[in-house]
Amino acid sequence: MLSGMSSGNPQPGRSLRVSTDLVIETPENVVLTYRLAGPAARLLAYTVDFFLRAALLSVMYRLVGLGFAAGLGGISLGMLLLMMFFIDWAYYGISEGFFRGKTIGKHVFGLRVIQEEGYPITLWGALLRNIVRAADSLPLYVIFPFYGAGFITMLAAGRFRRLGDLVARTAVIEERRVSVPREPIILEKIEPLPRTDLGGYVPSGQTLALIEQFLGRRHVLTYRRGHAMAYILARALAKKLAYAGDPQLVDRYPMAFLARVYATFFQVHEDDDAEDAAQGKAGAAGRPRPALAGAAP
Amino acid sequence: MNKRRFVAKRETAWRRFEQLLDRLDTISLRRFSPAETAEFSRLFRELCYDLSLIRSRDWGQGLVSYLNDLVSRGHNAFYSSPPGNLGHLVRFLAVGFPRLFRKNIGYFLAAAAIFFGTLGVSWAVVQHDPALASRIIPPQQLQMMEEMYGENGPLGKGHKHPTDDSDDELGDLSDFGQQRALMAGFYVQHNAGIALDCFGRGILFGLGTVYTLIENGIALGAISGYLIAHGHSSRFLSFVISHGSFELVAIAVAGGAGLMLGNALIHPGQRTRLESLRVRGLEAIQIACGAAAMLMVAALIEAFWSPSPDIPNFVKYAGGALLWVVVFVYLSTAGRWERES
Repeated sequence: MLSGMSSGNPQPGRSLRVSTDLVIETPENVVLTYRLAGPAARLLAYTVDFFLRAALLSVMYRLVGLGFAAGLGGISLGMLLLMMFFIDWAYYGISEGFFRGKTIGKHVFGLRVIQEEGYPITLWGALLRNIVRAADSLPLYVIFPFYGAGFITMLAAGRFRRLGDLVARTAVIEERRVSVPREPIILEKIEPLPRTDLGGYVPSGQTLALIEQFLGRRHVLTYRRGHAMAYILARALAKKLAYAGDPQLVDRYPMAFLARVYATFFQVHEDDDAEDAAQGKAGAAGRPRPALAGAAP
Repeated sequence: MNKRRFVAKRETAWRRFEQLLDRLDTISLRRFSPAETAEFSRLFRELCYDLSLIRSRDWGQGLVSYLNDLVSRGHNAFYSSPPGNLGHLVRFLAVGFPRLFRKNIGYFLAAAAIFFGTLGVSWAVVQHDPALASRIIPPQQLQMMEEMYGENGPLGKGHKHPTDDSDDELGDLSDFGQQRALMAGFYVQHNAGIALDCFGRGILFGLGTVYTLIENGIALGAISGYLIAHGHSSRFLSFVISHGSFELVAIAVAGGAGLMLGNALIHPGQRTRLESLRVRGLEAIQIACGAAAMLMVAALIEAFWSPSPDIPNFVKYAGGALLWVVVFVYLSTAGRWERES
């Protein structure tokens, strides 16, 4: 959770003690972060799978009744037992192996099993991590296995890995479905600060991005707390900008002040860019352009 | 490049990639048309680049996690291993499994020593003093066993084929074929379950495996000793000799795989414990799955051949002996002459 806020670039291989992120580097030299799934989410997924398997068995059980009526009792009972075996031992392995690391329960809760190196799980890996369930679910079966061993290893081994994950070197991740973030600030409604009130300082793009992020997430904070946090940045910025306007704005409505700073300088950066483009310098010094034609490695 | 303009420029590509990913959730990458595959691969690389660019510019967590999500889903789809097919399965059973088995024969020998050792000891002890059997096996179960292998049991000569009294509640279960199909299901479920348990619990430093092997060895030995002491030897031995080949050996094979897991933890060698667990675990699981396959064969034999009252005993003994040879030859030679691929 802590790392959720950090905007620094993650390093592969660096394992943070307090982090629910799994950081890997792909062959494309891109660092990806995955959010690991904790025991609670996995228990929920397990419960869904559990009831699904139970439902499957009860359907089979009904079919056995039909089989008896049709005079095929032995065969249908044999099939039931065979199904019991596969539902017990192969349900997880087969579904994770063939459906890219997902069972139905995992799919419902947006979980997926991947290899620790970030690759999709292989069939053998899936079978392995799920046969070791036999050890993970120890001790105690009271209708529902309690997963004592698995839970303890999850806490002890880090990265929420149960014994099966340790053996097969897998991790369970949460897949987030994020949509393109919208602009949090409706620029048209915010008046830029008058230039006469400002000195020559221009905030960096990073500062503006920070303001944007902060304002975009302001609804998670209470009004007072939001202003209290914004005040720290607002005061520092006001000083640097040599802001000469209404001090009430900075002191009492720091969020509004930040929004107005953003509105003011966003335009400046846009203009810079327009000039760049006008000069026709496609790759202005030290400024890589996004590849549009698959020129990336 | 300004963030806003960058997003505006690239957003169509991201949305297109998202569409392709959604399609990949329902169909596999192989079903993509060549043009789609090329587009997917191109967009994937572009997005990788976009992601690093946005990260280095610090353009906000929202955008980073959006792209991170897309790229990781793409990565997962792009690098998924080719799905297996029936050919792989056949090749695994014909070549891969016996080879792996021989490569790790030491573990099998250790597991076999534990399993067959306890089996032999408990057999000998109980046969010598059958009263001890009730200390190991619940009396009701012993009673059941005795009925099954007794003179009037389903294997006995005096056994009436109960087709005429079909008004009992199980009705058609008394029919031989039906009963056999039921038992086949039972044997798969029960025995393969034991074998996989035996393997999976090996992760507890091998203790789980040793426990399961000893537990089953003692129980099987006690039942055998008890039945033979009560004079059911010919029916019992002719019953178990055939499927025992695949069944008992497979349990020891699965036990060996479990010991591999345990030993990977106890003696990791130059690797870390986790690393050694992973390397040897991938071999161990294949051996365990091979054992499960052997147990399915055993279940078929046990259900359809072993209990058949129409096959004379000497044929059963001969067939059983042949099956032991088959198991031995299979495990010791299969895949030996195939060139490494």
